[in-house]
Amino acid sequence: MHFVTGGSFNGKGKWIGSFYGLDNTPHLWISAYKAEGIPRLPSGQNKETVAVLEGMEMWLKEWAGSKGADGARVEWQKQLEQWLKWEKQESARVLIIIAADITKGIVPMLAEERSWRDAAGWACQETASHAERMDVIWYGVNQRIK
Amino acid sequence: MEKKQSLIFITGGVRSGKSSFAEKLAAEMAGQISGNLHYIAAGKRSDHEMDQRIKRHQEDRKKSGLNWKTWEEHNLASLSGAFSKSDIVLLDCLTTLLNQEFFQNGEEWRDPVFQVRTMDRIVSGVEEIARSAYSLIAVSNEIFHEPAGSTSMVLAYTRMLGKIHQRVAEKADTFYLVEAGIPLLLKGDEAP
Repeated sequence: MHFVTGGSFNGKGKWIGSFYGLDNTPHLWISAYKAEGIPRLPSGQNKETVAVLEGMEMWLKEWAGSKGADGARVEWQKQLEQWLKWEKQESARVLIIIAADITKGIVPMLAEERSWRDAAGWACQETASHAERMDVIWYGVNQRIK
Repeated sequence: MEKKQSLIFITGGVRSGKSSFAEKLAAEMAGQISGNLHYIAAGKRSDHEMDQRIKRHQEDRKKSGLNWKTWEEHNLASLSGAFSKSDIVLLDCLTTLLNQEFFQNGEEWRDPVFQVRTMDRIVSGVEEIARSAYSLIAVSNEIFHEPAGSTSMVLAYTRMLGKIHQRVAEKADTFYLVEAGIPLLLKGDEAP
């Protein structure tokens, strides 16, 4: 699994697209920014070997709102476990997770925004710990940190 | 022989030491080529605090004992003719350039055409100066690590600055991120 993070509007998705040559590779791209729901596992029939889950922090926001920060953290662990299993089923499969880093601003006034940030930070740690590779994208330039 | 670096991009958080690093880099390059130092101050004196901020930077540059020529101008196109291959130009910073355009034109920021035109103007201004001068060092701010856009205005501003940074980073020969005074080289070779 390849975990990619960085600030918003830094060209993370674009970098992934060119790094994996996705223009010419059948792939599954699930984006929370397009209001696409909690990532569901692709059915067995899917031919795609590359799956990109974009906007992880937005799913965390949804869960933090309904389940609180701890609940959101557990939910992400469950989802991630499923996807990691999918990736391991075939050696050609690659799972890519993209998250905008929302954790470095001023502590928000609203409790719900604080709990979203907590959940997002924990989920990033969890994801990074399972990743074979991790990159931080700075305006289209990657900084490999794992 | 050193490879010439016509565009150097530097970002960092507030008080990260990005300006000091940029000034040091500029001075070193000027020393190497016996060139002249130029400083483009894009910020307008909007209030007392801004005035103090500008003064602090001016005094820092004076203390360095180097001879900086300051241009108080935010229209880059009008400046590109002013520089030649013996000039090192420091632009501090891209956010103030965008601020001038974004906040001084009423509600125009909502218009996608205005947004594209503004980004194009800033990026082409940077490119032109980088071409005409020996080197342009462009400094900017990190504002992208919190939830993007509590309002449509903030969202539009953040998106525009992010895109400008992506384009400048792509053109840049060298790109540094300054963390707590420590420059991290993200692209290119160690300058100068």
